[in-house]
Amino acid sequence: MINEEQVMNALRSVIDPEIGLNIVDLGLIYDIIIEEAMITVTMTLTTPGCPMHSSITSWVENQLKALDPGYEVFVNLVWEPKWTPDKMSDEAKRQLGRL
Amino acid sequence: MQPAGIANKMSPSYKMVRKYFIASICGFAMLTFLMFINADSITGYHFQPKLLGLTHIATLGWITMIIFGAMFQLVPVVLQVKLFSERLGEIQFWVYLASVTGMVLSFFKFDTFLLAVFASLVSLAILIFIFNITASLIRVKEWNITGTYLAAALFYLFFTVAAGIMMAINLYSPYFKTNHLEYLKLHAHLAFVGWVSMVIMGVTYKLIPMFSLSHGFSLKPAKWVFVFINAGLILLTVEYHFPRRTIMLPISTALIACGNLTFLYQVYLIMKNRVRKNLDVGLTYSMVSFGMMFAATIVGVFLVFEKFLDFDALTRVVLIYGYMILFGYFSLLIVGQMYKIVPFLVWFHKFSSKVGFEPVPLLKDMYSEKLARAEFVLMIFAVAVTITAMALENKILMYASTGVMFVSSLLFLKNMFSIFFIRSVKNDK
Repeated sequence: MINEEQVMNALRSVIDPEIGLNIVDLGLIYDIIIEEAMITVTMTLTTPGCPMHSSITSWVENQLKALDPGYEVFVNLVWEPKWTPDKMSDEAKRQLGRL
Repeated sequence: MQPAGIANKMSPSYKMVRKYFIASICGFAMLTFLMFINADSITGYHFQPKLLGLTHIATLGWITMIIFGAMFQLVPVVLQVKLFSERLGEIQFWVYLASVTGMVLSFFKFDTFLLAVFASLVSLAILIFIFNITASLIRVKEWNITGTYLAAALFYLFFTVAAGIMMAINLYSPYFKTNHLEYLKLHAHLAFVGWVSMVIMGVTYKLIPMFSLSHGFSLKPAKWVFVFINAGLILLTVEYHFPRRTIMLPISTALIACGNLTFLYQVYLIMKNRVRKNLDVGLTYSMVSFGMMFAATIVGVFLVFEKFLDFDALTRVVLIYGYMILFGYFSLLIVGQMYKIVPFLVWFHKFSSKVGFEPVPLLKDMYSEKLARAEFVLMIFAVAVTITAMALENKILMYASTGVMFVSSLLFLKNMFSIFFIRSVKNDK
């Protein structure tokens, strides 16, 4: 059975190629629910006009399916609550020059 | 949710867009090389064969060529509409490339017959572009401010071309009732303010927030910019068609200046709200270019009082004014934006489907940031020294500065080619 930590670690390898930071440190992951054969990731993006819009959810799916092909993956992209810079990790903030 | 960005399923073929980008980047290197070997001609009155030839490599071979590629890429993505015809885009490319080359050679030789012929072919290629984009725009379902600016830019492109072809014919067989040189001012301002600057502004409202991670700012100033600049350009067109030396010229200049300053205020609002505090090389170029836009606006206002300047001083100021717009504002901005757009475009084409399956590069790993920083310093230095050389009419300084500009354009070319032709992942961090 996959646990939440494994999922988070897998998602750390999904990197926004423009910003150069992974989506976990950027604070884009809101929730992870792991059920019998299903992983549901609730996440957002930095802005609705994000260049990675059309691709980022499929990258998340690819990563998690590679973790265990036995699981179905559902990415729930939400815009509320809105992403704010405060959601970033300290490391991410430092890299963007906010610390 | 409004899907946007630089590339998505609406994007046209990568190869078509790449063709325009590569041609224009090579055009830029060619331009800086020709400026270097003709440095002693970059002086005096602007209406002379070599300067006209160099100006048209800059405006058509470099700036307009790259805007064509960028608009083919961005119009479908930003406005969620398929390009009307990629085939027309392909045909246009070859007609345009051949005819711009012929036109520039005609300027250098000052063969007015060939100039009229090639100018007609350039006009044909541009009309194909206007038709293609207009046919795409009329199918847009959800309009936005960028679309409005791009539509206005197309309108002014049409009149820039109309004025250009009329002047080319007038040079071969004079028929103008007004002064040819007065008409040249209209042609140049329609091109600079109406076509290029309008595209830059429209695209800035979309791309700068995206690249700097800015949101929550008001776009109200952008609406005023549109009003000011269009009102100014319309008055300017009337003034140059019926030159009476009335109050119309100062009013139109003031309106355009207000438009430019309001635009800079809009950029300030965007940057103030940005999450990404560190400026990378692309955004640094863009910010410096906006500073140069401010300086060029001041010089433009100053030129309203041209009658207080003697001929010698006026020719220098006009030359500096044109250079500030073409290199200080347009070229620096385009070079900077290429560092943002090209890596993304190539990355999207080559690597986006590989995410999760194999290591893919970050955008910043696709080119040498160190080389780009060196190129930036050289380019800014070259722009500053060229302006000084123009002011002092110093030929040694002019050779030195155009030489440095040529070197920096080669560094830019090298970085762009390493992005376009990247084969594998340089590192897998």
